[in-house]
Formats: sequence, C-alpha cells, structure tokens
Amino acid sequence: MDLVDALHLREPWEALKIRRIPHHRHSYWYYLGGLALFFLAIQVVTGLLLLCYYRPTPEAANQSVRMIVSNVPFGIVIRSIHAWAANILIAIVIIHTLSVFFMKSYRTPRVILWITGIVLLLILLGFGFTGYLLPWDQTSYFATMIGTELPREIPVVGDILVSWFRGSKEITGATLTRMYGLHVALLPLLALAFAATHVAISTLLGRAVPAGAKVKRETRFIPDYLLGESIIWLIGLAILLVVAVLFPWPLGPAYDLAKPSEPPAGVHPAWYFMFLYQTLKYLPNWATLWFYLIILLFWTLVPWLARVWKSWLLTGIGIILIAGFGILTTLAYFSVAQEKAGAKIGQISPTILPDSGTTGQ
Amino acid sequence: MFEHLPIKRRRVLRGFLVGGIIAWAAPFVYAASKFLSYQGILGGNTTAKFPASQLTEANPSTLVEVEGEPVIVIREPDNSIRAFTATCTHLGCIVSYRSQLMIGQEQIPGFYCRCHGGKFDSNGINVPGTPPKSPLTELKVTTSLNDLIISLTPIVSRT
Repeated sequence: MDLVDALHLREPWEALKIRRIPHHRHSYWYYLGGLALFFLAIQVVTGLLLLCYYRPTPEAANQSVRMIVSNVPFGIVIRSIHAWAANILIAIVIIHTLSVFFMKSYRTPRVILWITGIVLLLILLGFGFTGYLLPWDQTSYFATMIGTELPREIPVVGDILVSWFRGSKEITGATLTRMYGLHVALLPLLALAFAATHVAISTLLGRAVPAGAKVKRETRFIPDYLLGESIIWLIGLAILLVVAVLFPWPLGPAYDLAKPSEPPAGVHPAWYFMFLYQTLKYLPNWATLWFYLIILLFWTLVPWLARVWKSWLLTGIGIILIAGFGILTTLAYFSVAQEKAGAKIGQISPTILPDSGTTGQ
Repeated sequence: MFEHLPIKRRRVLRGFLVGGIIAWAAPFVYAASKFLSYQGILGGNTTAKFPASQLTEANPSTLVEVEGEPVIVIREPDNSIRAFTATCTHLGCIVSYRSQLMIGQEQIPGFYCRCHGGKFDSNGINVPGTPPKSPLTELKVTTSLNDLIISLTPIVSRT
C-alpha cells in the first residue's frame, strides 16, 4: 500500500492489520454495531440531499416535501430511504443494545460503551421525534403537540422546557424552525461526537467475549472481518432499497394553522414511541414520565447493578421489560386499528379503553 | 489482502475488487447527481411590458425581468429604445446604464458593472481593457400602443 506510506499511516495501518476478532457461536452479534454505523452514514447522505430542497416554514414545508417526491428526480426514493432507514436504524440499535445486555458485554472496561450507546439511542429517538414534524402534515402536527407537552410534568423546569421546544404556546412555525434546527444541526453534532467515541473505544478495547462462549479461532479484522461486515451492509442496503422503493413513505395533507382541525383517525407516533402512547392511556402524564425516566435510569445503571445483583435477576428483569414494551406496543397497534375501523363506519369507538382524561394520543 | 497470491493474479483480483466497488457505487452517484441537478420550474414571464413614458431623459434606463433573467431597457439621447441582457459577461453581476461613462478618453453613454469595473459601450460591446471578454446581447423591443414589450429574442449584432 503506497498510499499508506504517502499519508504516513504505516503505524495505525499495521495496528489494524494485527487486530483480531474472536470467533465463537455468538460472534455474529458483533456485526450489528457496524450495521448501525452504515445506516447512520446513509442517513447523513440522504439527509444532506433532502436538505437541498426542504423548506422549514409552515407554509412551504409540506409543499417542498411534495415537490421532492413528485418533481425532483429520484426524490421519492431518497425521501423514502431516509424515512425507512431511520426506522430500521432504531430497530438495529435496539437489538444491538439487547444483545450487549444479555451477553453482559457492558462489564468493565466497557461501561463507557454502554453509556455512550444509551446516549446514542436517545439521540436517535430525538432524530425520530424532531424529524416527524418536518413534513408538517396532520399526524406529525399532533404527534409533536403531545410529545412537547410531556416535559411539562418535570418539576420546576417543565414549563420552561416546553416553551424552549415550542417557541410559542402551541405548535407553530417557531416550533418547526426549532425542530428543524435540532434535526439538522445539534443532533448530528452530538451523534457524530458520541458515535466516534463509541467506535473508537470499542476498537481500542477489542470485542467482548460472552461468558461460556468458546473462542474457536480468531478472524483477521483486515480483510476477513471487514469483508464479512460489508456483506451484512450490502444485505441491509438491499433490504432497505427494496422496502423504500416498494413502499414509498406516505405524506399526509399539509396542516393549515389558520384552519385548526381535529387529528386524523388513528393518529399515533412512530412505532418506537408506541409504548409511550399506550401508557398515556393508563397512567397520568406525570406518572408515565417518571415511570420511564426510572426505567431509563435503571437501564443506564445496569453495569453497576450487575456487580451486586445475581445474573439471573438482571436477565429476568430484561425479559420482563422486553415483554412489557412488546405488549404495550401491540396493544397500541390494536387500538389504533380499532379507532380507524370506528372512524370508517362513522362512530367513535368507546370500547377500547375507559377515558382517563389524559391526552391519550 | 491478496499478498499470498502471485503478483499477476493479485493485480487481477484487486482490479475486480476496485472495479466492483466502482460499478456498485455508480448508480448511487448517478441518482444523487440527478437529484441535485433539478432546477425547479422556471418562474417569470416570457415578456416584460411597461409604458414607454417610464423612460425619461432624466431617468433613461430601467431593469425588468424576463424568464427569470434581468434585462436593461434604455432610452438613448436620440430617443431610440433598446434592450440588452443586463447580466455582466464577466461574473454575472447586473450592469447599469450611465449617460456619462469614461470610455477611452471620452465621456460617452454606456453600461457599467460595479463588481469589477467592467464597461460596455452603448451597443453593448465590451470595452477592451476592462474585465468582460464578450458583449451584452441586444434584445428585441416591440411597441404596442404606448407600451414597450421586451422578450428574450436576440437581435443579430449590427456592428
């Protein structure tokens, strides 16, 4: 490699060349982190492209997205890829987190990987939430209304936080500008910083081998592991392209601030917030907020709890959490389907749940 | 990564690898470049129309827009009306009409560009020694009653 010498990269290059990845029956889970990185790169590229035509004002936002999908060459595919990849990326990162949790790969010295990983997941959820408003259709309008209302329950600073997010009393052009700023400036910076730290430290520490896994052999990082990883990337990309082309991401009619309207039937957030949507039907807002903040705190503290608690206890709690989130999400989709069916025959379906008086969307 | 193979075979395999990556990336680059080259629907009117009385001796020129392009319409000292593309041929700024412009050793009417001091004479011909290297295009002016109608139809140079 002449280029390596020309750029004076001989030392890091040699270091990468002697890098080895342990091969055992669980080692395919290692690919998930790299796959997430690849999807993040797709988001950066497609996001930059969409940025060329998107206009963040209530009057122009929906219109400009409509122009992208109907007039700009390949616009419909690029927008669809951005929307689908966002969802797939969050799914990949959730599975990645769970694999680390169950294989207990968060143990010292990998605690910092666990923490940065959780922050990265939260950043991605932030991307999802802020990006949801940008097409400025009815669903996105009301989803943002509910999402920005929740922090109000935080004592003392709640009201201030809500006003920071909204920039006005309700959701207006001020909110759109702020969400846009977060989505294209602050969150990308944070994501870059945390992803770089996460990848750098994981490279430095090497792969964790879960207890009980027998290392059969070691794979060279260059080229064997990278080639294996690139095959996973290509499979991921192929699936993404097929889904994005066959199922173009829908775009609802623009929300008109001058003509307030009720939310469309079955209005709901993205799938990764459906547990929250469903919980808000059962619990008061403040209880929902604190409940999930405590779960988040527990999840963050797992590396420390693992030193004190029995292994089976932690694994058990993990399974209960997955089951809980799964059941809540499923129930949420059932109620959305029921609500849509109810709206079709011209009646509101009162049978789903007792009205608890909370903002149930 | 093919170090264990004979040099010739190594080259072939490396060629396949690099070629494969380029062939794989090409459609994505193509799609992105098509996406980026979209120019939108061209705005603007195909003609500009305004009353001839707008051009006076005190105010002998005006800028109008035709098909999104700036056009300068002037009334010359002999009262003839002429129109030129107003885009400076140097780097695209918009020129203005000056009834007294220093061209060579004399003060005569002409076009001046503020950006880099480009000059054109009243026929739109670029003045040698100033930055523009090609002339402004003269456009057709038609009259309808008291109105002037300007389109992007060029007049073949009379010089």
